[in-house]
Amino acid sequence: MTTYLIRRIFWMVPVLLMVALITFTMMHQAPGGPWDRDPSRRQVDSSTQEALNKKFGLDKPLFINLEGGNPLDSQFFTYVGNAIQGDLGPSYRQRGRMVQDVLFEPPKGKAIWDSRFGYSMRLGLLALVMAALLGIPLGILAALKRNTFFDYSALFMSTIGISVPSFVLAIFLIILLAGRLNILKIIQRDWSNPAAWMVPAVVLGFGTFAYITRLTRNSMLEVMGQDYVRTARAKGLGGRVIITRHMLRNALIPVMTIMGPALAGLITGSFIIETMFGFPGSGREYVTAIGNRDYSMIMGTTLIYALLIVLANLTVDIMYGFLDPRIKVK
Amino acid sequence: MSMNRQGRFVLAMLAIVVLMLSACAAPTAGPAAPVAGETGSEAAMADKVLRVNLGTFPDMLDPQKSSFVNEIANLKMIYEGLTRQDGDLVTVPAAAESWAYNDDATQLTFTLRDGLMYSDGSPLNAERFAYSIRRNINPTTAGEYAAITDEIVGAPEWRACGEDAAACEAAMAQVMESVKATHADGAACTGYDDAECNTLTLTFSRPAPYFHVVMSLWVTFPAKEELITAAGENWWLDGANHIGNGPFVVDTLEQGVRALYTPNANYWGEVPQVTVDFAFVTDSAVAFEAYKNNEFDIIPLSAEDLEVVQADSVLSQEANIYPGSCTFAVMFHQLKEPFTDQKVREGFAHALDREGWVGDVLRGLGSPTLTWIPPGFPGYDAEENRWGYDPEAALQAIADSSYGSVENLPPITLTFSDTPRNRTRNEWLAAKFKEVLGIDVTLDPVESTTYTALTKDINTAPQVFILGWCADYPDQQNWLSVYWKTGAFGERIGYSNPELDALLVQADTELDPATRDQLYADAQRMLTDGAPVAFMWNNVNSYLVKPWVSGIVKTPQDSGWPGDIAPWTIDIDTAAQSQ
Repeated sequence: MTTYLIRRIFWMVPVLLMVALITFTMMHQAPGGPWDRDPSRRQVDSSTQEALNKKFGLDKPLFINLEGGNPLDSQFFTYVGNAIQGDLGPSYRQRGRMVQDVLFEPPKGKAIWDSRFGYSMRLGLLALVMAALLGIPLGILAALKRNTFFDYSALFMSTIGISVPSFVLAIFLIILLAGRLNILKIIQRDWSNPAAWMVPAVVLGFGTFAYITRLTRNSMLEVMGQDYVRTARAKGLGGRVIITRHMLRNALIPVMTIMGPALAGLITGSFIIETMFGFPGSGREYVTAIGNRDYSMIMGTTLIYALLIVLANLTVDIMYGFLDPRIKVK
Repeated sequence: MSMNRQGRFVLAMLAIVVLMLSACAAPTAGPAAPVAGETGSEAAMADKVLRVNLGTFPDMLDPQKSSFVNEIANLKMIYEGLTRQDGDLVTVPAAAESWAYNDDATQLTFTLRDGLMYSDGSPLNAERFAYSIRRNINPTTAGEYAAITDEIVGAPEWRACGEDAAACEAAMAQVMESVKATHADGAACTGYDDAECNTLTLTFSRPAPYFHVVMSLWVTFPAKEELITAAGENWWLDGANHIGNGPFVVDTLEQGVRALYTPNANYWGEVPQVTVDFAFVTDSAVAFEAYKNNEFDIIPLSAEDLEVVQADSVLSQEANIYPGSCTFAVMFHQLKEPFTDQKVREGFAHALDREGWVGDVLRGLGSPTLTWIPPGFPGYDAEENRWGYDPEAALQAIADSSYGSVENLPPITLTFSDTPRNRTRNEWLAAKFKEVLGIDVTLDPVESTTYTALTKDINTAPQVFILGWCADYPDQQNWLSVYWKTGAFGERIGYSNPELDALLVQADTELDPATRDQLYADAQRMLTDGAPVAFMWNNVNSYLVKPWVSGIVKTPQDSGWPGDIAPWTIDIDTAAQSQ
């Protein structure tokens, strides 16, 4: 197990390096730069652009420096060298702030989970908890009551969850809960109130809930048809005992293994929810950075998200070894 | 399963559950503690709270570095320049009570008001403004609007000195001389606490009789040097560092969520009656629902909601649609065939159904125009009527051109920034050219930042594209000289007219206001003579404002919300608001 862990951790390095290389290359393929403004307004003058390019190292060659001196004194390798040391570079738009500060530094006097990334992480976790707490029991019951009204309702809800875009669901809930039923406020000015998180978390997690429901149902149905379940029944074991001691453990293996990537997906895919609810997460920062050509923000956020997904996959692989005795991680 | 493996399984499950449940923990005890600014002993939350949706949270709130409209809107709450504009966009005294030019307008002297102070009660003198203006010019600041004060002696040289230490020293010394704070009798100021330091003199490299207008801009706002130095480059993040001289004080500055401004009791002028609460909802549909739910008092009115608003008997009364600060035109690259020929440009200009564009495409959120300077701005020419929509004249102009007929025209490509809205607009435009001129225009959508990059360089600027200009400040110089002089923004489409250049130089340096106005009027007509572009439409400011909000002074130059030009006139009927 230890060898396996060490090997996987080492593999993270080339993976992240490749992510950095691809992102960097794609980023610079698009014309324009961080100093381009709305074309209907005054543009940044050439002297200032030169000064800014020099300040942020954008006057260096992109990959290899052939102008004498250190060939690795280029934008890409400078970035990678700094990133390895935890320095994700300065934001070109939020002047004076480093990317890691934009993402991870909380406002003065607050805790780290009040940082932009902390907000996205918490929203993602909450969405996943809600999706799992609702989706797993629903999927189990749907399988146990197969081809009944309950089963059809569960399938209907999961189909809705998978097919309806989150922004449609968001505006629907806003109109319903705030506009018609008047039971919540649309504009949240105080995110320390837990109630404010409910609707964004529901909207964010609804697709995952739908997926978990279907996966749990299908997995339960598969397990229900296994020989050992039939044997347990033949031995006279009660229904509840069979379900809890024999079926659930095996049926939930595939569900547990998607939790990691699902969480990573929820954290990295929350841009629409953040925009619609004015939620102060990192997703909005990311998408805005792309339009602003804030290169450091784009690179830094992409690397953080890639790291998240790599760690999620690693967690899943390790968990699988615990959950399924037939699997040995080595 | 062995006990060991079972135990590990249980532990693993427990770990996952604990991790998930931690998301439900209350993030902080009690309500969110605001990142408070200094409220000062006198500043207090007014009972009346004006709730405004400002769209995007500002990325940066540094007066000498900011450039986006939402940043400027927030800065104008906290700070004020030496001058400001009134409801008619006339430049009037602000922190300065008066100003005077020398005989040839190469020098401008401001006299500050007596007893001027910051919101924390500390004195505000001319040295503060001198610092801010120099900071704007300083190349290490690298502010995005730094060039706007390039008339000041030494400014362009200092900004461009690069690594040449000697050149930087020399230019900096020049700027120190040409941006000078003194006593009224000319004696040197002794520092920021010098109460006699009430005179600021600016020296220009050429006559600049419009510069008192430039001094109203946010790049001159007097943020405190010691706060900037102590906190470093990201000083602006902390509301406590925004001690300003504007009508409001920062109460809360919560990144991405909220900005709350309370009245500044130490403001020299009329203290506002309302607290202003900015929220930052970028989705217009959500903002509209919130407005209908009485959670906002003012929101921008988007084109998508206009039809619903106009059809509603209540909302239609709350819509405020008035002229904006931008003019948009169909740009023709003067160095690319066939637009090297003025007759072709005239033909395309005549083919533009501006009324149809405003009605069908903009759904009324705009106004057609045949001239460059928009209504409400000094220099607007209401009489200009050349190159208007006239299909017959369009075909005749092409026939009179060197091409002889539309069949002989080379391929025409219309480039635009690829958004769903722009696609619809440009498809309409192409269809109109087809209808009137019978030509097939190729549509060329490009990514938006790419579009910006293309349009700012004469070598990459497209053959035909829509572009606009939005005023930095309300003066003809900003509309005409800044844009159309040879070497300025008009150069991107290859425009250059030495005769116009000469006229603009004359206008820029004319001291008599009436003569100046006439010279600029002549220049605008000369510009239109050549039909370099097809002036098409002016934008509008469009907002929904609740009926319990009164006293809003609207101008075309509003930054992000109506009333920002004179927020002290705004009042709220709280009884109606709370119903």
